[in-house]
Amino acid sequence: MALINLPDFSGELLSEFAARKTERVDTPVIQPAEPFLDIAGEDLRRRIFMTESETGASLCLRPEFTIPVCLRHIESATGTPKRYSYLGEVFRQRREGGNEFYQAGIEDLGDINIAAADARAISDAIGVLERVVPGKRLAVTLGDQAVFEAVVQALGLPLGWQKRLIHAFGNMSQLEALLASLVSPQFVTGLSDEIAHLIAADDEAALVAHIDATMQATGYSTNASRSPLEIARRLKEKLILSETRLDDAAFRVLEEFLSLNVPLINASAALAGFADAAGLKLGNALARFDGRVAALANAGVDLALIDYRAAFGRPLDYYTGLVFEIGVQGTSAVLAGGGRFDRLMTFLGAKERIPAVGFSLWLDRIEAERAV
Amino acid sequence: MTITIALPSKGRMKDDASAIFERAGIRITAVGNDRSYRGRVEGWDDVEVAFLSASEISRELGSGTVDFGVTGEDLVREGLAEADKRVEICARLGFGHADVVVAVPEIWLDVDTMADLGDVASDFRARHGRRLAIATKYWRLTQQFFSSQHGIQLYRIVESLGATEGAPASGSADIIVDITSTGSTLRANNLKILSDGVILRSQACFVRARKESHANEATVQRLIDAVRSAL
Repeated sequence: MALINLPDFSGELLSEFAARKTERVDTPVIQPAEPFLDIAGEDLRRRIFMTESETGASLCLRPEFTIPVCLRHIESATGTPKRYSYLGEVFRQRREGGNEFYQAGIEDLGDINIAAADARAISDAIGVLERVVPGKRLAVTLGDQAVFEAVVQALGLPLGWQKRLIHAFGNMSQLEALLASLVSPQFVTGLSDEIAHLIAADDEAALVAHIDATMQATGYSTNASRSPLEIARRLKEKLILSETRLDDAAFRVLEEFLSLNVPLINASAALAGFADAAGLKLGNALARFDGRVAALANAGVDLALIDYRAAFGRPLDYYTGLVFEIGVQGTSAVLAGGGRFDRLMTFLGAKERIPAVGFSLWLDRIEAERAV
Repeated sequence: MTITIALPSKGRMKDDASAIFERAGIRITAVGNDRSYRGRVEGWDDVEVAFLSASEISRELGSGTVDFGVTGEDLVREGLAEADKRVEICARLGFGHADVVVAVPEIWLDVDTMADLGDVASDFRARHGRRLAIATKYWRLTQQFFSSQHGIQLYRIVESLGATEGAPASGSADIIVDITSTGSTLRANNLKILSDGVILRSQACFVRARKESHANEATVQRLIDAVRSAL
């Protein structure tokens, strides 16, 4: 890559990546758009640069590296574990900053020692940043969706609510709105007498048969995506939920959990104290959380740099556990963002489940920070 | 400065718009012959009229190549990013009513609200191996409504430029976002509107392109006042 607009600290990044035993990969700038829209959602469409091939296939300029790197790994079928690094230009429509900028990062695929791989991702990100923005005190924010999932589960909330809450995790305004709505019962209206009757009789087979017959009669069944059974089951689940409401105690426990924001060195104790006070058994999730803290200490990471914020997550369904962001203390710019995305590889077509964790660096923001 | 008003070039929209302008004392005559795409206004020498298709009108308003236009609010909000910054809706004209709605198969007995749809969407991939597919020509309105207002990210849009109501039955999409005035086409295709699924209640509007030069133009305010007085 002989691009003359490369950030002047690119060499340092590449030597850091090499020293950290990663395999440098490049991916085409022009990518099929489908995987990005499929994984990140339609909202991305407004923020990427799309075009069409002569044959009508949707293409886009590479908006980030994780998906292309993972796809490349699946295609090349070279097995895991693998540690990839990248440095290159990405293209996004942004309100602030340019539309083309550089990103670099590491993707760690297939390491089954989750705690150690999580710790290494954070330690790599801190190490690289300390090299390129020397002398600045970094601040790391860490979140863990798995702990939230454990809290929701331990509260014994109905499965339908658990799913909704976990789905909204990471988007605080949506989560607050959801919690507020669960406090009052959600009555179900508009069911015909016939359906209401079948439900009252608790006759699933008859309800399924009725839905099936209606689908046949309306010519919808040939191409129906949702089956009569799926509709009947969810309807029943919804009716059960409609008669219940999130009680005040559970509401307060969730609010209290989401407001936790403590230095990582105190986080294990804070979580244990929270669980005790609320009478929740968070067993495995806390053990894994503690395991990661220990692994971070083992990796030589200065734990004093890290804060744990319980509400911090990303509302995308392939993030499963750790998320983190790193900036310079006292500033708001995020210089590095990362996390664990154990579901992504199978979403992208990998045959077996491949645990994955990684981070990417915003080189334009790093450049700005270096200039201060 | 000449003020250009873009009006629909044909159909009910054209007739209804002309009627309102007539009442407002703005008599439009075609330049040359009846089928001409340019018009003038009697007694308003600094005003000219361009007859365009409704979707073109919203685009021209967005780029500021016309000063005023009569077009559907749906086309303005779908066609222009940050519509309220670029245009001003001066008056809602009381015709061309149509709602942009989210509609699902009637037989989805368990889906009555956007929250229900959110549940279905978040589970969809695990159950069916793909994202929930929405057929629509309203990309922008759909994204804003689903993502910003309801926090639903996990769906795919399948572009549909016509006969959108048929998409769920033909299997090309699971649900639709489309325009409806009476709901009869939706019902005929066994679709129902979600109880909180009205994205926009649209009607024909008298719209102004936000241009700085308008501040010093008496004609601009006179036109707005005249149209409002006719409602």
